Amino acid sequence: MTRASLERLVRTAPILQVAAVIALGIAAAVTIDGFLTLTSIYTTLVLAAFLGIAAAGQTTVILIGGIDLSVPALITGANLVSTSLTGKGWSFLSVCLFLLASAAVVGAINGYTTHRFRVPPLIVTLATGAIVTGATLGWTKGGQVSGHVPSWMGTFSSPIGTVFGVRLPPIVLLWAILALAISIVLHLSVAGRRIYATGANEHAAELAGVKTERVWIGAFVFSAISATVVGVLLAGFTGTGQAGIGDQYLFTSLAAVLIGGTSLVGARGDYWRTVLGALILTLITTLLVGHGADESTQEMIIGALILAFVGLYGRDQRVRDRV
Amino acid sequence: MRERILGLLAQRPAAFAVVLALVLLIANVIAQPDFIAPNQIAPTLGTLAPFAIVGMASTLAFLSGGGGIDLSIAPLMGLVNIVLVTVFFGTALGGPLLAIPLLLALGAVVGAINGVMVARLRFPPVIATLGTFFVLAGLDLRLVPNPVTAGPNWTNHLAGSIGPVPGALLTIGAPLLLWLALRRTPYVQSLLAVGDHDATAFSAGINVNAVRISAYTIGGVIAAIGGIALTGLVRSADAQVFNNYILVALAAVALGGTNLFGGRGGLFPSLMGATCIFLLENLLTSLHASAYFIQVAYGGALFVAVLFGSRIFNREVAPA
Repeated sequence: MTRASLERLVRTAPILQVAAVIALGIAAAVTIDGFLTLTSIYTTLVLAAFLGIAAAGQTTVILIGGIDLSVPALITGANLVSTSLTGKGWSFLSVCLFLLASAAVVGAINGYTTHRFRVPPLIVTLATGAIVTGATLGWTKGGQVSGHVPSWMGTFSSPIGTVFGVRLPPIVLLWAILALAISIVLHLSVAGRRIYATGANEHAAELAGVKTERVWIGAFVFSAISATVVGVLLAGFTGTGQAGIGDQYLFTSLAAVLIGGTSLVGARGDYWRTVLGALILTLITTLLVGHGADESTQEMIIGALILAFVGLYGRDQRVRDRV
Repeated sequence: MRERILGLLAQRPAAFAVVLALVLLIANVIAQPDFIAPNQIAPTLGTLAPFAIVGMASTLAFLSGGGGIDLSIAPLMGLVNIVLVTVFFGTALGGPLLAIPLLLALGAVVGAINGVMVARLRFPPVIATLGTFFVLAGLDLRLVPNPVTAGPNWTNHLAGSIGPVPGALLTIGAPLLLWLALRRTPYVQSLLAVGDHDATAFSAGINVNAVRISAYTIGGVIAAIGGIALTGLVRSADAQVFNNYILVALAAVALGGTNLFGGRGGLFPSLMGATCIFLLENLLTSLHASAYFIQVAYGGALFVAVLFGSRIFNREVAPA
């Protein structure tokens, strides 16, 4: 096989990512005692599912050429508000409806302002993220919440959970269904075509009759909602609300998308790549933790790793090729 | 009338920040009359210095265009603070004559790494500098898991006063002087040309990569000055303190009126933007607003500033 055709294959199919998942899985199985039990494999999958769901919206936003840095704020916000409101006697259903509606508002603001006023989504989402964080922390007095989401939410994301008697954490099933649904929407629906068209060339898409403003708002609303879902799921997983629980997802949600090979330029990539990216990142974290690396080492290694992966993918064009 | 104001602002983007800073200054004096007492001026400027310097340090990456942004300025400032306190103080390198050049070199090296990743390796600037952000933040935490207090040292004067002169005038003045000097050379013109349209600048014979790499390098040097000013202010090495400056850095640039897509702006507008944010925070604190509310205000200021900037800059270009 020639070098050129190998390079093309690596660009069109996530071969490197699949290989990385397998290699990391083997490395974990060999070097970490007890990794090959169903419980610890499911634990890894549950952690990857949180990341994968958080990165689902990020994938859509990046596909249209945007970026969403308000993800961690919405995760923490949903996490704190859901526990706090259930503690105040709200029913879980009304809490969820309230959170989804608020997330939709935040997402719509992100999408509308970035599209309408041509301002960098990076800055706008950082700003709305700061507002959401400040507001939720202020409202919960720094994250002191006393409520609990219903106990079935705990079993929902428990590694020893079951679905209809089969030993499978429900959240992993949810993630699989979500991945399937997203890939159907992206590849087999008109909405998916519109997303790729907007990301490839917004002006051309507009002329072809795509209402790109709706696409932008829709992508950012989806991102805000997927972050909110993760926040509520995490409240079930840890049993309580915790300030700062979303912070780690700022970088990892981006990293999962980029390591998967979806390009920041837009229109290149899909959600399956993000699924692989989430698995790779979670396995690396598992390996680092299993070998006793502390938080600072994890941060440094993951930072260096994403730079290495971006070096392989998603680099910009040379200036002289754009003249 | 509205068109005239917008037109004026397009020519003098900092005018809005200057007016806002004056209004906020008056509001501060009303809320807290001691704010301008003579013995308060030096410490106040000392607190302003890190705000102003991170804002100025972040400006060059934006000016260089191509989606340019440097998210690693704040953790770099933290690293310089930590290296100065934990590595240099108490050794032969602890004096200002050796420490300052070495720390500026450290800032230059980190900035240059960012610049090379962005310009030569063609990484998207967000990712390159976010990667650096995490490496630096991890390094900061590794070096000082818990804050380390610094004894009395020369940096204290920079946050206080040197004789009758507030020390912050030196730390804030140094980047401004550097920028004024650069404006006398063709460099700033090239930087703005690259930021405005890199392909055109390339066709006109400008070495786009060299200009971009040096923009990130100068940003790193200014961040190092910020680290020294921060050390004088916090009198310790702390791996968390830089978190307070991440949003400030971006908001100062946006509020000052620098075009975030490149090509327009400078360090003086960012200094004004940072001053507005500092005065706003000070006003809210003296009105006993909670720290969380101040964060909401930061976010709000950033949001309003980018929308405002887009009104100014986009009116020249007909919508696509």
